[in-house]
Amino acid sequence: MLNTNTTLPRILTYQGIPVWRHAQVIQWAAQIASGFLVVFLVAWFFFNIANAIEDREIPYGFSFLERAYQTPIGQHFLPYETSDTFLYAFGVAAVNTIVVSIVGVILATLLGIFIGVCRLSGNWLVAKLALAYIEFFRNVPLLIQLYFWFYIVLALPPVREGYVIANSLFVNNAGISIPFASPDGWAPALAWLAVAVAGIFAGTTAHRRLTDREIATGRASYPVAAGIAAAIGIGLAAWLVISAVAGAPFVISQPAPQGTFGRISGGFTMSGGLLALLIGLVMYTSSFIAEIVRAGIQSVNRGQIEAARALGLSPMGTLRQVTFPQALRVIIPPLISQCLNLTKNSSLAGAIGFADLTNVAKTMTQTAPAISIFILIMAAYLAMSLAYSLIGNIYNRRIRIVGR
Amino acid sequence: MSAVREPDTTTTALPPRSETGAVGWARANLFSSWHNAALTLVVGVLIALAAWYGLGWLLLDADFTVIATLGGLLVIGQYNTELACPGQNCFWRPQAILLMVSLLLGMAWAVAGGGLTKRIAIVVVVAISLFAFLPFSLERMGWDVRLLLLANAPALLVGWGLARYTRLGSWSWVAGLSVGAFLLTLALLRGIPGAPGLQPVSVLHWGGLMLNLLLAVAGIVVSFPIGIALALGRRSNLPVVKLLCVVFIEVFRGVPLITLLFMSQVLVPLAFPENFPLNSLLRAAIIITLFSAAYMAENIRGGLQALNPGQAEAARALGLPGWQTTMFISLPQAIRNVIPAIVGQFIALFKDTSLVYIIGMLDIVELSRKFATTYVENGALPYLDDVRELFLFLALVFWIFTYGMSYISGRIERHLGVGER
Repeated sequence: MLNTNTTLPRILTYQGIPVWRHAQVIQWAAQIASGFLVVFLVAWFFFNIANAIEDREIPYGFSFLERAYQTPIGQHFLPYETSDTFLYAFGVAAVNTIVVSIVGVILATLLGIFIGVCRLSGNWLVAKLALAYIEFFRNVPLLIQLYFWFYIVLALPPVREGYVIANSLFVNNAGISIPFASPDGWAPALAWLAVAVAGIFAGTTAHRRLTDREIATGRASYPVAAGIAAAIGIGLAAWLVISAVAGAPFVISQPAPQGTFGRISGGFTMSGGLLALLIGLVMYTSSFIAEIVRAGIQSVNRGQIEAARALGLSPMGTLRQVTFPQALRVIIPPLISQCLNLTKNSSLAGAIGFADLTNVAKTMTQTAPAISIFILIMAAYLAMSLAYSLIGNIYNRRIRIVGR
Repeated sequence: MSAVREPDTTTTALPPRSETGAVGWARANLFSSWHNAALTLVVGVLIALAAWYGLGWLLLDADFTVIATLGGLLVIGQYNTELACPGQNCFWRPQAILLMVSLLLGMAWAVAGGGLTKRIAIVVVVAISLFAFLPFSLERMGWDVRLLLLANAPALLVGWGLARYTRLGSWSWVAGLSVGAFLLTLALLRGIPGAPGLQPVSVLHWGGLMLNLLLAVAGIVVSFPIGIALALGRRSNLPVVKLLCVVFIEVFRGVPLITLLFMSQVLVPLAFPENFPLNSLLRAAIIITLFSAAYMAENIRGGLQALNPGQAEAARALGLPGWQTTMFISLPQAIRNVIPAIVGQFIALFKDTSLVYIIGMLDIVELSRKFATTYVENGALPYLDDVRELFLFLALVFWIFTYGMSYISGRIERHLGVGER
């Protein structure tokens, strides 16, 4: 190799090029420098935290998880006593967030698809109404919307003067109470679980078999109706059998006001915080999902729709069987990110008094080390993000265009 | 004989009246089929009912006095109260900032030479000036306040003249002066110890809409370059840099902002030595900026990924060095293509500034909520029943800003021809 730069000492050149002009050398130097900078920063933070722990006697470690939490949690879906441990209380709070997230995602997706389709309606009034909905709800901070719904629930009359419909639906400033059916003990619960699995299995099998027959023979075989009928049939049969064996299929708990002060016992009570949180999250997120659905539907080639109409499909049939399956490929990735946003936005629950993960963690920092709780809460949210991404990616792979 | 023959209206029939004008429009858009007509009627009745009850509530039951009572608190929070600024009148400092904004808008108008910039400048300044005519008593809103608000119109014209007739008339001057104005804003609001009339005001007393706007502007301006750097880092082929960027982006995107903000108050003070000059507002601003930068990075990465690789290859083939290819070829096209996503992120950032309630700052939302739910007069809570009106008003305030941002973004997109080339 010819080295024209004879004045340079060998040590300052690499492959015959001065080191400060060698692309690879510069890149490696940059990497090492940035790596060192970050390591130094992180080490400095850890050093400071360690110093603070020592000097200011700040508690640390995870031994607190075994201790009793001793703080009430407002509404919870798992049984909870104040004598339960921190670890269990953390789990209760995580389940609260997960329930809100799953219910919210389902409702927001349904409402979002509905609004998104309305947005593209040929009916001017419907399209403009959907546009107004989208433009309003996605442009106003979620916090304001949550407060709005929450204070509407709070402004309802107290329990003793609240609205009662058919002596089973109670609407008052404590929330909404409805009768709640639950299986009586473990054995019926497991039986119902088995029935549900069997029903879903029978329904999907019937649907798949009849769809195959319809495709193969061209005769109308009504797969959707048959699938639903199969599932409902199994459910009804199980209902009769369990009633005969156990006396009653469910124990129905009726809500009823208790005491002069007014408190609903029995049934299932959806607290004002949870109600406002769900309404707010669903309306806010559905406005984003509607825009995603609209963009997805508009991304489908016009020729597809024209061909479907030319073949004699109804507008609804075109949407369901031609447009929407193709639009899904565009819709799914941003939809997953909206589901994640909904989950993360549920952390605003603390503002309206619902005990979600963040809110409980915030209360926990008063009696437990903040550093440990921060690690736990990061892990919990990252796990939820990963779970959603995983489900979405699996589904995305199934509906992907198969390359030829 | 003319080259274009006039249509022979005597034999060619005009479209029937029922297919043109308002009737034709209604037939095509509202009553195109029987079920469409039914839908129109049902929705129309629902809208009419909602409007009837909504208007009835608005005109008869709604009580907006709480907003009038709050007044200036909504705009600047407790900044000009005896608590924050004892023995002095501090209202002129936020107003001086408004004047600077008007001046810069005037300059931008002159440099752009009209169009959208001109309309934005005029609408903003007219809106600010109109606040001078609020029907408050002179005791609550004095002549000085009103005159300083009205002074925004001349400030706009002065800015326009400066840019038109001096050497300041270029975008680089406007940008440079904007950065200067932002730093001056922070200095003005914070105050300088010992300077007459510039008594220091603790950041804990910054509040109202001013706080939301400050956090949003700082967040937008700073998170944009950080986001670009992170996006480039994530796409680079240097493994260490890539790993660091991926970890940063995914951690900040995986955790809710409110959790990060809360932890910034509990954990961040521990990570710095004691007496480190990092107040709670600065911590919140840093967290909001970094959070926004992580999302911005993903948006810009999307734009870079969507770019035809031929563009960068052509640039390299023409002999452009790597960094020039990125700066002048890849990035401008990538950013242009993701303007909607970027503006969406800016809007999200502005909405997210309302989350600073978690660290005890009194932004416009938290200040109003706290006032309405805890203000006691004669042993009662007089404004507790007015929270609905209050939140509707706040929703409208935020909506005006966010909708304005998305409108401007739509206009810029059309101007740049996004999605057409």
